[in-house]
Amino acid sequence: MAVFNVRNREIECKIVYYGPGRCGKTTNLEHIYRSFKKQVSGQMVSIDTEGDRTLFFDFLPMGVGKVMGCDVRLQLYTVPGQVKYSSTRRLVLKGADGIVFVADSLAVRREKNMLSLKDLHNNLKSYSSSVFKVPLVMQYNKRDLEAQGIPLMSVAQMEKDLNSQLKVPAFEASALTGRGVGLTLKECLKRTLKSLQKELRLSE
Amino acid sequence: MASDAVFSGNLNFLALADVLQLLGSNGSSGILRLRIPHRSETGQIYLVRGNPADASTGALSGTEALYAMFGWLGGAFEFIPEDVRCENVIQKSRMEIILTALKMLDDGIIEIVDADGKTQAEPADVDGLHSIPLIKGPLVDYWYIVDEESFEKGQKIVEQGKHGNWIWVVLEGIIEVRKETARGSLPIIRVGSGSFVGSLASVITGRNVRSATTVAVEDTQLGVLDSQRLSNEFARLTPEFKAFLASLDRRLRQVTDKVVSAYEKEGHIEEFVSHQEPLIQQGSAMDKAFAITRGEVFVVRQAEAGAVLLADLYKKDFFGKLPFLDVGHEPAAAAIYGSRDLETRPVDVSVLESEFNRLSPTFHNFIENLAACITATSSVACGLRDKHGRA
Repeated sequence: MAVFNVRNREIECKIVYYGPGRCGKTTNLEHIYRSFKKQVSGQMVSIDTEGDRTLFFDFLPMGVGKVMGCDVRLQLYTVPGQVKYSSTRRLVLKGADGIVFVADSLAVRREKNMLSLKDLHNNLKSYSSSVFKVPLVMQYNKRDLEAQGIPLMSVAQMEKDLNSQLKVPAFEASALTGRGVGLTLKECLKRTLKSLQKELRLSE
Repeated sequence: MASDAVFSGNLNFLALADVLQLLGSNGSSGILRLRIPHRSETGQIYLVRGNPADASTGALSGTEALYAMFGWLGGAFEFIPEDVRCENVIQKSRMEIILTALKMLDDGIIEIVDADGKTQAEPADVDGLHSIPLIKGPLVDYWYIVDEESFEKGQKIVEQGKHGNWIWVVLEGIIEVRKETARGSLPIIRVGSGSFVGSLASVITGRNVRSATTVAVEDTQLGVLDSQRLSNEFARLTPEFKAFLASLDRRLRQVTDKVVSAYEKEGHIEEFVSHQEPLIQQGSAMDKAFAITRGEVFVVRQAEAGAVLLADLYKKDFFGKLPFLDVGHEPAAAAIYGSRDLETRPVDVSVLESEFNRLSPTFHNFIENLAACITATSSVACGLRDKHGRA
């Protein structure tokens, strides 16, 4: 649920990066924060949560135009994966307008990816949303590690594991080098705005 | 409530995190007052253009006070717009405060206060007995599932003493494992998705008398495992590994029986252990494993209320440190005592380990689940002993 801020004539949208621990959610956000520094308003908030970090910052994307005469302001979040951080997860996931699911390409993380996706599904269900309804984009991260001879899953296998039912756009990425990071966010933003307009029954 | 408030409500409905976000995105300046009805305590948060500048409650002030108020899950809030002129004691940004506070709340650092002003106590005991641990397993491998069955809440899946050798894996829902005792039905543990129902004994020996009752706590979906396949896999294992698995299964039975005897207030071990030196000290760093060739071994945990006997082990049983499987006993969390006539032989743990790693995913999960059940049941046994004391 996006918030209309009448005073600043802005629409605040929330995009959440979800995925198993150490899959590169925070690396994604850090890359965006660095490369789009000019569009970022305010500091990046980083909270050390056990086994993971929770990040947050505000971001004014360029070139998306106005919606109902309002600028679009993005709030980007990561979610701590640990079960016990339920309050944080609730705050972040509640009213998420778009979600990027970051999957780890390492072969050994196969099960972790599937569990995390299932977890996302359950979480959204408890906030009366659904992975099938919310604008969602997949990212298969750490593709660069193949060059170092580390066993990765093929994209076809990851598609089968994670995306065979969802059938959402998926991107190969390497958050460390920044490859695919921008594309993922752009697609997620596109889908988010589209769904917002549909929700508000706005004509283009 | 003051009449000049422009925005007020119940924290039950709109939590402090949400209120702060709303006022924040609105860029409001003023005083946010929090109040818990049955407590005289109130709190104030001073907002300057949407960001908290200072806060106070009771003896606390600044960030500390602000964090404390995140624990107020009940109570009322009201916002009075005002041109607040105060020092920026709180330097952190709004979202940073919210995210940090929620993390502290989840970590249990912030005290939770509900609407009645009561601080939240530990979760209540189930049936006044003990809190029942819930065990979940990893993702289910559908390869071994031949059929699915549904059970309604309250329905019995197996009954202690009855015959049957099916093994299920929980796909959805929660199942309670109970022991029938002289004092009635005693809940031991609960198992959730990925966990197994049914004992390894039915694979090992074809033994088909159920050792406990299992009941669906909520509507439950179970997958029936291909027991022929499990038996075939078991048949291909080395004799040593088979013996090791059989011993694990016996250990779970032993621990479960100890829970029952603790419940029935029987059996005391203090006397025995106070006169003896342990073979393996609790908490010691030994890294060997043994098999018993003669005599008896006692697995004893030093709990708060004294020593608790967790299992008696006999000929053919294994004990010691298993680096690949944690059953929550010796050497880290239990001591080992031996009978006078005890004789043992050393076991090559690395051989067991490599065989363990070659098991099929389902069998592997089954054994890990068994180990998790031993760990959880042991803590139940100790918890009961603590409760009933040394009668």
